[in-house]
Amino acid sequence: MQQNIFHTDNSDYFRPAHRDITPGMWQGIDRVIQECLDVPGAVTQVLRRCQDLVGYLPVELLDYIAHSLNIPASEVFGVASFYSLFSMKPRGRNIIRVCTGTACHVRGADLIMRRLKQTYHLEDGSTTPDRRFTLESVRCMGACGLAPAMNINQTAHGHITPDQALKLLQEYY
Amino acid sequence: MGKQVKLRIDGQEVQAPAGMNLIDAAELAGIHIPNLCYLRGMKGIGACRMCLVEVEGLKAPIIACNTKVKQDMAVHTRTERVQEIRRFVVDLILSMHPLDCVTCTKSGVCNLQEYAYEFGLKESSFSRKKFTYPVDEGNPFVKRDPAYCILCGRCVRVCKEQGTNVLDFMGRGIESKVITANDMPLHESGCTFCGSCIDVCPVSALREADREKKGREWEFSRHESVCMLCGCGCDITVSTKGDLIQKINAGSRSPSTEQHFICTYGRFGYEHVDGGKRILSPMVRKGGQLQEVSMKDALEDLAGRLKKAGKNTGFISTASILNEDAMTLQRFSGEVVKTSNIDSTASLYARPEQLEKSQKAKLDKADLIILVGVNPSQWTRVLPALDVAVRRRLSRKGRLITINSQETALDKLAEINLNGDEIQAVQGMIKSVPDHGIKVDQKLLKHVQEASTDKNMQQAAEMFAGSSNPLIISDPAFFDVASNLAWIKGQAMAMPLESNARGVVLMGVKSKDNTFQDMAAVEHGLVQRGRSTVKLLYAVGDVPLSKKPDGVDFLVVQSSSFTGLAREADMVLPAATYLESSGSMVDYLGQLKTVEQAIEPRGESKTHRDIFVQLAKNMGATLKKPTFSEVKKAAGTEVILSVADMSRKEAFQETPESYLQALNAPVLETSRLLWLKESGMT
Repeated sequence: MQQNIFHTDNSDYFRPAHRDITPGMWQGIDRVIQECLDVPGAVTQVLRRCQDLVGYLPVELLDYIAHSLNIPASEVFGVASFYSLFSMKPRGRNIIRVCTGTACHVRGADLIMRRLKQTYHLEDGSTTPDRRFTLESVRCMGACGLAPAMNINQTAHGHITPDQALKLLQEYY
Repeated sequence: MGKQVKLRIDGQEVQAPAGMNLIDAAELAGIHIPNLCYLRGMKGIGACRMCLVEVEGLKAPIIACNTKVKQDMAVHTRTERVQEIRRFVVDLILSMHPLDCVTCTKSGVCNLQEYAYEFGLKESSFSRKKFTYPVDEGNPFVKRDPAYCILCGRCVRVCKEQGTNVLDFMGRGIESKVITANDMPLHESGCTFCGSCIDVCPVSALREADREKKGREWEFSRHESVCMLCGCGCDITVSTKGDLIQKINAGSRSPSTEQHFICTYGRFGYEHVDGGKRILSPMVRKGGQLQEVSMKDALEDLAGRLKKAGKNTGFISTASILNEDAMTLQRFSGEVVKTSNIDSTASLYARPEQLEKSQKAKLDKADLIILVGVNPSQWTRVLPALDVAVRRRLSRKGRLITINSQETALDKLAEINLNGDEIQAVQGMIKSVPDHGIKVDQKLLKHVQEASTDKNMQQAAEMFAGSSNPLIISDPAFFDVASNLAWIKGQAMAMPLESNARGVVLMGVKSKDNTFQDMAAVEHGLVQRGRSTVKLLYAVGDVPLSKKPDGVDFLVVQSSSFTGLAREADMVLPAATYLESSGSMVDYLGQLKTVEQAIEPRGESKTHRDIFVQLAKNMGATLKKPTFSEVKKAAGTEVILSVADMSRKEAFQETPESYLQALNAPVLETSRLLWLKESGMT
């Protein structure tokens, strides 16, 4: 019977096999969990750091985190699905975030969105099959002075046109 | 009683204990503050915004569920402003809720329907939003239909508080949904199918899987009763229609709407009353075969045999019969049959003195719970309601120490686990208590002089010394030692495995000569202690034996299910189940509870006491059924704890798990609970 694992099973939960998680990542994941073991309310932190390691949060990983932190899997799943920061689907190596807030919208954000979608055959929130890019529209990034703005990974780019956007992206693999 | 606070609610003066929230305070004055997410006893979360009230001196309305009463507060619960807000909330919810009250099973008791009616809302003024979530009907117990869900979060909260932790919210905003981990169906989520979520759902999103077409809520008659299937003895409300049980819910209607718990057995096991193994008429063995006979013939025949057997008759009973049955049995055996061979299954795991000495206690008042050798678990289905009660207490400021030689399900929630020998641990604790400023009688200390203590025991002793109302719940095997703690402070009780073990013993069904083990000396983990002189053995209730004991010439089984022992019997008498009789029982906390008859006894079955009275008549004696006051008097017997008994008692040979399964085998096998067994979830 699987259900009493949360409460009675002290042994290390068996690491589930997952093709997107390498042994190195597992070590990192265990380190994160170890650091947060007795920290109350650490789920969000653990999820964020694990997502940084793996790129996204596969269901098997959520399960593993729940068992290791001894919190209900439903709760971990609830937190992961609540924040848009977390993704349970594979994400690209590079995350493109196009601002569609009011200022950017007025200055042509959807032209950029449309061009990116066409060029890379993407939908809002989807990832290219080779996992090169994930495209996301976001609300205001607080950079209205740079409208229309776009974020690639951690770098912000402002006053961009669709052509410029494509050119910028060529440098990311 | 704590400090009282005076306030005015809708102009009415109300006196409420300090710290109470406004919804409960208003309820004291008979004023209902509308709400969809509030659960008495749990912290208000203010999710539904229906309980907004206006308080004089405050600009904006505030939520009543999470606001505590204050001296001289003036609250208005029905102002135009808050009514408008409530109407808006209901309007919004209705835009996402199917308006099919005409067929909805919740109709009549649905909170949303009630408020929509109050505000005259036929239809939402917003455009209709519909999600097409699949209905979860992969199990025969709980049906989850997210289309009806209003996201109040009650189910999520009860599930969390009782430690099952299956449900939670997924996503946010309008797209939130109550899910299990990874949105799996319930039967793949670790759910135990207790159905607590059904009881709290204000709408029809969670309901009994077979609830449809069983009748409208207002057609049901409700009977407040007690589940007799295990030592927890939980309050239940049985809904019947046309002499059939339609559903069972947790808790009794009165006095409060506080959340209760019953397990899968208690809620869904009732089908065994009409199950395939039910004994409907008396049977007598003729030529090796059991053949149906009339009740009259059977009882006349039996009366003659009992008269002849006299003191060679033995009575063995389960400890889940009602007080009235037990007392009649005791009188019948002693006064009519004149035998001293009488005992109940309770003697298998507890000695009568332990159950008598077990104190009366209130679990929800205890600030420290000490579990000695008891391992209640919802997952192994051993005393599940105790598991829940402890978890619930812990989420409301209780603390826990577990003392057990094995790992227990509650260990992780306990502040201190004393693993290792239970008796040594308790002795070590007692020895350390005086170090923490509590005086302990020398008489008691003398007995623990030799005990060794360690850091854990010291800490446990410190916690015990610092608590104001500790409750010690012990396995009967360790009760004598553990109850010494209660002699210092608090209450101690021996936790029985069967519902009315305390009652049966208090009513006098306890060994005077041969014990249960002597009379039943057969397999089942029992130690054979030499053979008894019993020639006629009379088994009352579903005694969990499967072989006719050696040396017994005539075996009578008076039971409701044709299982185990009944197959070997020379005479079978049909007995009513607890759902078919009325009377009383004493639960593990020592509370006398009344059991209300919900349905008529099936076939020719009769209550145990009616059968004994008839037998007595046939034997030319008069036997009086006990009155309630006699039962009450017997149940109220209090025995003072004896001090400094440190002896180790023989532990029960069987695991509680297998014993309870044997005891409830008929229920498990002839109801939808069989599904649990077949899918390996028992």
